[in-house]
Parts: sequence; C-alpha cells; structure tokens
Amino acid sequence: MRRRGFLGLAAASALTGCGYRSIDAIYSQPAGSVPKQYANRVRVVFWSPYGGVNGKAVDSLVAKFNDSQQDVYVEVQFQGSYDDVAQKIAAALVAKQAPDLAVLSDVTWERFFLNDALEPLNGYFTDGFGPAVFQPKLFGEYVVKDQSWAVPFARSTPIMYYNRDAFAKAGLPDRAPRTWSELRSWGPELAKVQSGGRSLRTIAFAKIDGDWQFQGNVWQFGGAYSDGLDVKIDQDGAVAAGEWQRQMVHELGLAYMASSASTDFANGLVGVIQESTGGMKTITSKAKFEVGAGFIPSEVSAGIATGGGGIGMLRNISAERKQAAAAFLAFLARPENSAWWTTQTGYLPVVNAAREDPELKKLIAEQPNYGVAIAQLANARQQDAIRLYGRNSNVAIYTGLQQIYADNAAPREVFRSVARRLDAIGDEVRRQYEEKVL
Amino acid sequence: MLTKPADGALTRRRREYGLFALLVAPNLLVIAVFAYWPILYNAFLSLTDWNMIAARPTFVGLSNYRRTLTDPAFHQTLWITIVFTGLIVAGSLLIGLALALLFNLPLKGRGVVRTISFAPHILSGAAVATIWLFIFDPGYGLVRALIEPFGSEPPDWMNNSDWALPGLVIVYLWKNAGFTALIYLAGLQGLPKELDEAAAIDGAGTWTRFRAIKLPLLAPITFFLLITTVIGTFQAFDVIAVMTGGGPGDATTTLSWSIYKEGFQAFNAGRAATLSIVMFVILLIVTTVQARVLERRVHYR
Repeated sequence: MRRRGFLGLAAASALTGCGYRSIDAIYSQPAGSVPKQYANRVRVVFWSPYGGVNGKAVDSLVAKFNDSQQDVYVEVQFQGSYDDVAQKIAAALVAKQAPDLAVLSDVTWERFFLNDALEPLNGYFTDGFGPAVFQPKLFGEYVVKDQSWAVPFARSTPIMYYNRDAFAKAGLPDRAPRTWSELRSWGPELAKVQSGGRSLRTIAFAKIDGDWQFQGNVWQFGGAYSDGLDVKIDQDGAVAAGEWQRQMVHELGLAYMASSASTDFANGLVGVIQESTGGMKTITSKAKFEVGAGFIPSEVSAGIATGGGGIGMLRNISAERKQAAAAFLAFLARPENSAWWTTQTGYLPVVNAAREDPELKKLIAEQPNYGVAIAQLANARQQDAIRLYGRNSNVAIYTGLQQIYADNAAPREVFRSVARRLDAIGDEVRRQYEEKVL
Repeated sequence: MLTKPADGALTRRRREYGLFALLVAPNLLVIAVFAYWPILYNAFLSLTDWNMIAARPTFVGLSNYRRTLTDPAFHQTLWITIVFTGLIVAGSLLIGLALALLFNLPLKGRGVVRTISFAPHILSGAAVATIWLFIFDPGYGLVRALIEPFGSEPPDWMNNSDWALPGLVIVYLWKNAGFTALIYLAGLQGLPKELDEAAAIDGAGTWTRFRAIKLPLLAPITFFLLITTVIGTFQAFDVIAVMTGGGPGDATTTLSWSIYKEGFQAFNAGRAATLSIVMFVILLIVTTVQARVLERRVHYR
C-alpha cells in the first residue's frame, strides 16, 4: 500500500473515532444468562476475580441479594485474576460493551479513574451506604478530591502466617517474629525440622506479585518506592530490604522464591510466609497443621500496605443500570453482609459496624487468626503513588525482585535499573496524575 | 445486429475477469479483514500513545520507535528471541530428521512410535506447559528422579535465570520434533529409490548416500520447515506464559511475550503495536532472505 493510502486510512480511522470510546456513550452489557424467575428485572453484570472458596462466597452474597428484592438481578461473571478483569474491561470498552460493576485491584482502578471510565459514586450514597458506613482508611483510598470512584470490598493487608507445629518442633515461641532480625535468628532452628525429605526453609518469597508484600518490607526498613511519582526505590531503605532478602536466599540458604508461596506453606515446606489475609480460609482449610498468624514483622519501623479489591461502577452504562448496580453495592455495605464475607474468606471487614457482628465476633474468639489483620490495620497505609498510578510498576518491581531471588543480583544495581523503568512509567501518567489527583 | 469480433473478445474478457473477481472475493475479503486490516491498524496504533481506556489515541509520530529501538531492555529481548529461535529451529530440524530416518527403517512397531512422537505437537501449549512444570519441579519432578541417581541436585529450572531458557527450549523441541519428523518422513518416502540404489551399487556407504543424495533431495522440505519453524518460534507464547511469564527477571522475555506485557499488562497499546511491527518486519526480512538465498540452492524435482 502506498504511503498516501495508508495515511488516508489512518486519518479516516482517527476521524471517525472507529473503535474508541465516547465517554458518555451507553454501551451494551456482556452476554450471559438470566434464570427464568429473575427474567423481568434490571440485569447487572458483575465481573469478579474470585475463584475457589472466595468465589463461592461471592456467589452466595449475590444469590442472597437476588432473593432479597424484586427489581434487580445481579449476574456474577468470573474473569480470572485482577489483571484479567482489568484487561477484559479495556477490551470490552473498545468493543463498545461494558459490565456494570467490576472488582478492581489496588493497582488497576486508578487507570480506569484517570481515563474517565468510572462512574463517580457520591451521588449514589445514602445513609446506609456512604462515607459514614465504611472503614475510613479503606474507603478513603478511593476518594480523590472529595469524590469516590470505587468502594472497598475484598480489602486486605499481608499478615504473617506461621506453621505452629513446626515452630513447636523447633522450640520457638508460638507467635510470629516481631522483627525481621528475629526471624533470621530463628532460621537455623527451623532448618533442623525435616519436611518432605528436606530441611524446612524459613520463608518463601513470591515469584509473581511479591512487590505488594515488598512495599511494606521497604517501609519496615525505612525506605519507600516513591514520594508522589518521584521514584525512591534505589535509595537506602529499599536497598536494605532487598539486601536482607538476598542474604536470606543466597548466603544463609534459609529462603527461596516460590511459584506459589501459599501452596508451599500449606504443604508444610516453609515456616512462614507473608500473604494476604484474604487467603486465610483457603490456607487454613488446606494445611494439615495448626496455622498461626501474626503481624508482619517490623525492622526500623512498622508499616504494611493495604491491598485487594474494591468495586467500581463503569461509566458507559445506562442510568437504570447504574441505579440497579448501586442497590447491590448498598446491599454489600450492610454490616451483616460485610461481616459474613469476612468470616467466609478472611478479608478485612470494610464496614465499621461489621466488627460488632456476633458471628464475626464469635469466629474471632474461636479462631484469633481472623482478628489479626483487623488489629494490624492500625499500621496499614496507602501504598506509594508510583505503584498505584504507574501502569505496570508492579511488574517492573517484581521482575527486579526475581533477579535478586533467582540470580543473586545486587539489590542496589537491580533497583537502580528498576528505578529507571519506574521513572519512565511515572512520566507516562504524570500529566494525568497532576491534573486529576494532586 | 452486428457485433465486431474485437468487442466480443472484450466482453468475454470482461466476463472472465468478473468471474475471477467473484471467485476470489470471499477469500480476499477474509484475508483483508483478518490479515491486512489488523496490520494496517496496528501500524497506525504504533504511531500513537494510547492506554486502551482513554477515549482516543494521541498521535505521537515515530517516538515509540525511537524509544523502543534505543531501549537496552529491547536489545536484550531481541537477543533472547534470537537465541531461543535459533536453538529451537536447529534442534527441531536435527531431531526431526534423525527421528524420520529412524522411522523410515523397517522396524517393528514403528507405526505406534510415530504416533506417539507426533502426539505432543497436537497437544495444547498450556497443557504441555503444565506437564513440564511438573517434570521440571526440583522437589517432586521427574527430572529429579533422572538426575538424582547420578548424585547431583537438579536445578530449579523455571526459577533460575540460567536454566529457564534452556528449559523452555527443551519443551518446544519436545513439542516440535514430532511434527518435523513427520514432514521429513513424508519427504524420505517420496524420494526416488533408483538414485539411492544406483549409489549403493556404485559402492557408496550409508553416510555418503545420506549426505550426497538424500539430504540435497530433502532440501525443499528443509526449506519449508525452516520458514514455518522460524515463524512459529518467533510467535511462541503459550508455553512461556504458563511456565515462566517472561521471568525470572527478564530471562525468558521474548519479543512475543514483551508485546503481551506492553499491551495487556501495561496497557501501552502504542508501544505494543510498535513491537508487533518490529516483529512483522523481522519475520518479513527473514522469510525474504530465506526465500532468496535458499531458493537458489534448493533442488526442486
């Protein structure tokens, strides 16, 4: 094709806006099926990333909602991981389709917000569904310039899971370590315990997405990923955190990189892991030993990252669908539903009054592990902006961590090159960030 | 009414041309919609900055190309892709040819063995990757059982930067070799027996007959396999996605994986499109060179 032809084509497609989103257009819903008894209701499509135990809990909540009223039918569509949900929404919008509600992770909702794909929620708030109802820290993370862009749902922090049986065999106290130095000093004792024909390792670091736990680790060692979008990962605190982990893996042989740290832990191959509190039910049901849980250790300071999923409403849907979707969000914000979700999964109760729910109180009394993340929430804070707003920062960081875990690469060198990538990533969103967030 | 003969010829030619257009139209339409249009659209996107959610792309000219071509990470990706492709193409052809020679011998049960060796080719990549993840697992994998009797510890294949790429190469060889063997076997069985017999009568040994007669006669097959395997390996994705995700670090980030990463993890449609165009151009060049250089040296009977 000649150049003129190509330019003409490009110009034509740009002019007609072929394939691109019009911010206020109303898009159709993804296909699905509605059971007969719910046929004459407003259908709400809800994209969820939760499978397994947590997925069943989502299904139950939705079923309860559908049977609790006559006007709205919510259809849950499982879409894979948090990243899969984000990808599929982007693809759907290009194809001029939109789900009504979607679970967006701590690092994906921002890109939809920055690009005007989310519906502002303040207009839907009522007495039973709004700022006064939700846990302020978790609710506030979705508030930008006084406007809410999502509401917390499956929110979590990492907590430290430990193998109580192994700790007992190693003669260690029945608690999580208070500092990372203490954990290191326990390593040789844990190594004397045999498991699966090998000596028990102290800690497993996640191969994928380990940058979420590492965000907290960096704070605990006195560093930061960034200040605003100004990248700090190549500075002392972060390097010290990386260096501590490098030594654990390569000099002491007490740690390793795991494809699935929680699976290894549940199979008794490793003494402790830092894992989302949302994995509590899953890990506890798989493990054949007593699972203990405690705060993530500190080192020079305490501090852990919040994470997990909130629910956003898409902007390109009809007013009727928006109202119906808001009704479901209000249902989820009822204390008994929030509390029930916590008892079924281990995620934090995102609604204040849920903590007074008798069922949840009973569970925490019987299994104190479920109360750990709630108590630890005081130490939790919103993550550094580069990880939240920089698209793919998380991948850039965990790719760097892999080089430390797998190749014994020097953290200072690794983080210097990660910082260069993060700088470039930050530049991509800086204009939008300064315009819409600051 | 009189019609000049010339007019008649013209009408006939027009009619034939119309028929031709009618017959190729369905094919052409499908190719245009599913092959040419995406390439053009992709070329357009490569000149833009677009995060796939923003209402529309911003035109940025050639800056994506400038940025990509000067990025050290891209150079590393390119190098990994070349090593990866080279090893797999060379290995697949060699192993395939060796297997084909073996299958061509009148051995008992060769039908069954042929089928078994071809089977990996038709399995889905994701399934193959999952099986091999198990095989490579240093804790309970099959490789452990193979290596341990020799008194050494198996490496943690997929979690080690030095072993991950060779590990992937092994998987793709296992997956590809059955296919190349099948094609080579078909080629071997189509070779004229007279030449081989004549050479044997003249006293040529097995090796000489293979090198001087069979191999040159198989050149068109080799040529075909070379092109298809190079293209197929450049586009390899499924096994990488399941087994390594481009890691550890960037150790197995090939061009195709980096396209996915830019597009669907980072939502940089412009940068992903740029990488796709780069890959398209590389494959175009490779194929043209192969066609030009090799065609001259290939004997077609």
